[in-house]
Amino acid sequence: MDRPIAYDKLARENRFVRMRARDVGELRVEQGLAPFPDLASPESIRERVHGIMVGELQAMEGAGRSVYDFPDAPWEFTMDMARQVWDESRHVEIYLALIDHLGGYAGEFPETTILWRCACAEDAAARVAGVNRGLEGLACDVFAQLIHIAKKIGDPVIERAVDFVLADEITHVRMGSRWLNELTRDDPERRRRAVEFQDSIDERFNLGGARRDGAPEEVGISIAKDARRLAGFTDEEIERLIKSTQRSPVY
Amino acid sequence: MTSSPLAGEFSVELSGRVIRHYRYAEERMMRTMGGWIALTAELPAKLVLGRHVWDCAQHADLWGRRLPELRAAAQKSEPPNEAFVRFMDLLERPEDRDQTVERLVGVYRVLKPHLVAAYERHLERANPVYEPPTRRILERVIPEERRHVAAGLQVIARLGESPRVAEWTRRLADALAEAGGVTGDGTSPALVTIDVDGVNTAGDLVALDSAFDVTKVEPDLRGRVEAHGRALIEGDAAGIAADVAPDARDAVLGAYARLPRGANATEIVGCARLGAQRVVKTRLSGPPGSVVIQQRWQRDGAAWRVVAADVVGAERPA
Ligand SMILES: [Fe+2]
Ligand SMILES: [Fe+2]
Repeated sequence: MDRPIAYDKLARENRFVRMRARDVGELRVEQGLAPFPDLASPESIRERVHGIMVGELQAMEGAGRSVYDFPDAPWEFTMDMARQVWDESRHVEIYLALIDHLGGYAGEFPETTILWRCACAEDAAARVAGVNRGLEGLACDVFAQLIHIAKKIGDPVIERAVDFVLADEITHVRMGSRWLNELTRDDPERRRRAVEFQDSIDERFNLGGARRDGAPEEVGISIAKDARRLAGFTDEEIERLIKSTQRSPVY
Repeated sequence: MTSSPLAGEFSVELSGRVIRHYRYAEERMMRTMGGWIALTAELPAKLVLGRHVWDCAQHADLWGRRLPELRAAAQKSEPPNEAFVRFMDLLERPEDRDQTVERLVGVYRVLKPHLVAAYERHLERANPVYEPPTRRILERVIPEERRHVAAGLQVIARLGESPRVAEWTRRLADALAEAGGVTGDGTSPALVTIDVDGVNTAGDLVALDSAFDVTKVEPDLRGRVEAHGRALIEGDAAGIAADVAPDARDAVLGAYARLPRGANATEIVGCARLGAQRVVKTRLSGPPGSVVIQQRWQRDGAAWRVVAADVVGAERPA
């Protein structure tokens, strides 16, 4: 197997429809919809949950690649990535069940692969910075908001299940912070490149202004400051993220 | 051989060496399974690999932590010989989208059953007075590997096998036999069927039966898409063109011009919602193999029309 593999080798059953993220966003806007599903209707909640399910699939696939792609990394690094594979496989199972719970089906909405592209970084430090801190940080935002909405609409199934997923994601962010530090300890240039990669991912997943600092029911994706603090992001990092969302162009 | 309870087959040195071989097998298998997840399309196969990577990592870790207790370096893997490395290289080789069963067979029908046999043989011979630390690890690892085998075989059965797979199994078993197995001394069989009766695999299997349900497609759209697929098979140019939105005609017919001939069946295999539009995947299949077309449909008054189409996949005949 190549290390890493070409991103277009990501394999899916035929029932999944894959499209470019930009095309999906544009086609939604053309129809008078928001570029990303908000959480205002049952169908949009289902669509958001479906998007999370395929994100969990890609997270599992990415962590699996990190187990394979970096045989020379410290053993403890591989152990963390292998553990993450298992966690993400449960998350996929949980979100498949939540899709059932919401009356949907796997493949009901198009899948985009921007998350997976981020998981194809060649350097281990960049990959954990981008995936475990950038994308898993985004997961913290999205899940905290989903829990909030579940409470509001009185759905204890979503609330409880997603809360356990959120606990796992916080753990994954911590793993990312640990390995970003350890892998780049004597190599400030490597660290700079890894952090830059994470910044580019954060910027991208501000989703043209959808992610912002604000109440969960008022913004597209609300930055989960408490969960992020628990995960080990510093106040300075959280402030920097909020600033970056103010710079992001509106879609 | 003396009957003393302190008689033993393994020296400290031999024990350390064999454990390095076990660790090599577990570690490489675990990394390979991790790498395969992204290359494997079928959900139950993808998820069973995802489930087992962590168990195998823990097995490698347990063996690696036992090593310094045996005057050896911690967390070191060592293959028994070059032939075993060649066996693992071969096992890792199937990476194509249509080789999922080959991947699973290598792990779940060849390597893991062999490991169970080798571990059981070791457990029978490890001295109960001075080797309990090793025995504890074996007693944990054996049932987990047996559970993996039981789950993996269920997924393989669900996916179905071609004659190609039997040939592949034989090749792998020959390569493993040539290496003398994981211990390198030929004491455990290369191809072994282990007893998995009554093993509970409920926690290992996800989405085993899930498949696309064509009734999820709105009936009027389904009828239109299926008729359109038949028109493509029959080469009914007028019928095809009538279904395509006028301003998309050049692009859509251009995509259709690339479709291989010889299909005799059409089937809807996926359908996603994109606002009021539907992105439908249709498989056209026949003796030369099959192709999957992805079409975007939009309502135009009472009729559904194709506004975009792309060939997104091709499969060779089984
Ligand atoms: Fe996750
Ligand atoms: Fe995660």
